[in-house]
Amino acid sequence: MDKPKLKLAVYWGAACGGCCVSVLDVHEALFTVLEHADLVFWPIALDIKYKDVEAMPDGHIDLTLFNGAVRNSENEHIAKLLRKKSKILVAYGSCAHMGGIPGLANLTIKAKIFKRAYFESESTINPDNVLPQTHYKVTEGELELPKFYNDVRPLDQVVDVDYYLPGCPPQTERLVEVFLAIVTGAQLPPKGSVIGVKEKSLCEECERKKTENKLIKKFNRPWQIQDDGETCFLEQGVICMGPATRSGCGWRCIKGNAPCRGCYGPTSEAKDPGAKMMSAIGTMIDAKEPEEINQIIEQIEDPAGTFYRFSLPGSMLRRKICKNT
Amino acid sequence: MEEKRIGVYICWCGTNISLMVDVETVAKEMAKLPNVVISKDYKYVCSDPGQDIIIKDIKEHNLNRIVVASCSPRMHELTFRKTLVKAGLNPYYFEMANIREQDSWVHTDRVEATKKAKALIAAAINRVSFHEALDSRSVEINPATFIIGGGISGLSAALEIADSGKKVFLIERSGRMGGHVADFDLTFPYMYSAQQMITPLIQRVKSHQNIELFLNSEIKEIFGYIGNFESTIHSKDGKETAVKFGNVIIATGLKTFDPSNIENYGYGKLPDVITSFEFEKMLLNGIIKTKDGKEPKNIAIIHCVGSRNKNYHEYCSRTCCMTALKYANQIRCELPKANIFDIYADMRSFGKGCEEFYTLSSRRNIKFLMFDQENDLPKIVSANSGDNCDMLIEINEKLTGKTIEVPADMVILMVGMEARENAKEIAHAVGISMCGNSFYIERHPKLDPVATTTNGVYIAGGCQAPKEIPDSVAQAKAAAARILATIAKGSVEVEVTTACVNEDFCCGCQTCIKVCPYTAISFDAEKKVSVVNEVLCKGCGTCGSGCPTGAIKCKHFTDMQILSQIEGIMKISHLELQEA
Repeated sequence: MDKPKLKLAVYWGAACGGCCVSVLDVHEALFTVLEHADLVFWPIALDIKYKDVEAMPDGHIDLTLFNGAVRNSENEHIAKLLRKKSKILVAYGSCAHMGGIPGLANLTIKAKIFKRAYFESESTINPDNVLPQTHYKVTEGELELPKFYNDVRPLDQVVDVDYYLPGCPPQTERLVEVFLAIVTGAQLPPKGSVIGVKEKSLCEECERKKTENKLIKKFNRPWQIQDDGETCFLEQGVICMGPATRSGCGWRCIKGNAPCRGCYGPTSEAKDPGAKMMSAIGTMIDAKEPEEINQIIEQIEDPAGTFYRFSLPGSMLRRKICKNT
Repeated sequence: MEEKRIGVYICWCGTNISLMVDVETVAKEMAKLPNVVISKDYKYVCSDPGQDIIIKDIKEHNLNRIVVASCSPRMHELTFRKTLVKAGLNPYYFEMANIREQDSWVHTDRVEATKKAKALIAAAINRVSFHEALDSRSVEINPATFIIGGGISGLSAALEIADSGKKVFLIERSGRMGGHVADFDLTFPYMYSAQQMITPLIQRVKSHQNIELFLNSEIKEIFGYIGNFESTIHSKDGKETAVKFGNVIIATGLKTFDPSNIENYGYGKLPDVITSFEFEKMLLNGIIKTKDGKEPKNIAIIHCVGSRNKNYHEYCSRTCCMTALKYANQIRCELPKANIFDIYADMRSFGKGCEEFYTLSSRRNIKFLMFDQENDLPKIVSANSGDNCDMLIEINEKLTGKTIEVPADMVILMVGMEARENAKEIAHAVGISMCGNSFYIERHPKLDPVATTTNGVYIAGGCQAPKEIPDSVAQAKAAAARILATIAKGSVEVEVTTACVNEDFCCGCQTCIKVCPYTAISFDAEKKVSVVNEVLCKGCGTCGSGCPTGAIKCKHFTDMQILSQIEGIMKISHLELQEA
């Protein structure tokens, strides 16, 4: 008798869609996937309603890849629903893992985001100062919109997560490996593991030339240097998150002559990739006097967005404390 | 994971803590925290009966973690670690909350101080759950000692060690031993002959079977760690000798201040303005004469030349006042009719026999004049033909408040002491630290004045700070005694709370290597990982915070231990907030 097919679900929370596309990027392998699995829920590709999922028995889905952060009540509702209906729930991609790019909204607050988006942005015309309402009565009945939360949260701050598969987006090859491991019934790693990654950080794989003499007098943005394509970015004064970022991506950005942005998150031994990277950067500043050190540090553009680009809500900081104005 | 069974002991410290902290309430509340099996308060937990309570509880209640809330860990951490050992527990299963120095002693509000005690103890309770057992480690001691510098300190230390039958390598940069003392005539305050002191020492060192002497020699670097150092001695004739040794004494001494830069004194321009060391040479040769061979009728001695003045050195060079008095006395003996002017800032005659020497000197027709060494230096000028002397010293005399002119045919500048020009290279070669004045820093200014922060490296004599002969000798012999004690033991315990690299996570970025102040980390090019030499490591944690991957763990200061401690503090503040 044929083995029963796996039931697979893919969902996007606060996401850009790139993670769903990375699933599609399996290309022909999709046929292999479909030989072994039925896609029971995937909003970007299939017309399956929430109520269909709600009707499933608990634990009905074998594997759910949840991408995107939790930003509103809809994300939270579906996260909780899929948790109940899934045997294995994977936080898929940087946003579900640690909050991702949407998580940088934790540097501000809901009121300020609404003000910018609905009143101030250059492309907005809103003479009646309309703001999104969760409930709105029209003649046909009542409309409902999800509630926009003040905080962006990674998936594991909302529900219990079995595995994390980081990346912005995760490398499709890693997804296929993970999928095949589940299909073939291979021994699964302990719950809570980050999968589809290696243990060490990116520098271990990166073939650029590195020495212990990382000394920085001036921080550069990538366009400000004549990159020789060979020397460690940090040794050229360009902030590369490689040392504080888990490998597994195949250092593709660096191969493309762009420094690492840190989408794979920290190693399992580091709690807070931003703090870790800032400490490491601190050791590289080539100055002794406080004024000179300050002057060098001032050159770092957007430190929060640089060091916590993908990880702010999942870091120890979680958010910036803002006054409610 | 084993179940955590925590015992908490809150000390009254008599009334030191109990006056400001409600210890009984604190003990009751701590008992409610997770994993706390027992929570008690006691008058003096550090006393024998106090420690016995802990030992008894550990056995009766199967406790495996202990928190004592009392004084600073600097005071009693070791005491309580030993208590744990007595009860059969690993000493590192202990955590101390400092509710005395950091709480009861510094606050005046009992309610607030009690709250703070709760927070500090909750933090310790949280932390101790994550404590891991650490085993003490020791290294064997090579019984040979390496001494750099053949002055009075180096010679004294060398003989002390060699006489006990242990090997000494003594290296001296110049071609002769004895250092500055070999250039002295008499010594204050008892007027003993320096030559008669130093010559026998030099002779004994030269002929000692346990001392291997390297004159005209230097080292570039010392490798290794306590018990197991090695280096290569480079001799000026090109010879190289590899040596191995277990301990090091740095006794490189100091040098004299060059007064050429002090314009007022005209040193280098006025021929009979000389330094104290140049005058010492005259005394040694028994001839006090001006440059053109005349006997000086008027001799002035100026103190604090290069010392106690922001433009030169802010510190006191300690020996010059007494040396100046020695000169005044010697001049009085040699030239009974000469006028002697002792121009001082304030007479520093501390130490055994020194104040008496000053009193004695003041009865020998020596004129003492006081000046302001910080803002108002005397000015030395050539005299006119009618002045009946070679030079005039203009001085704003502080005691009379008058500006006076002092005649002089010879002026002796009591030059201060400063660190040697190569002090930094030596510090680098052996891995010790310097203070702002380039003197070497002792491990503790009061309690450990001859050791350095590098185990197995000791400092003695003028390289640590200007000092007189008996202080140098005492320091040298203390260093020798310390070394002989470790040699006698045969091995020495080394720090266990060190950093270690988890090779599974190290990416080989080498961030840690350059931040290590003890050069304890090296790079294994084959494995592409950093390696900590745990004997050199002092557990300062710099590498651990710099490590971007979290591969470096600082034992006893892991992320989990520190974060849980912070959470413990937050937890109590949070509870207080909820109550309010």
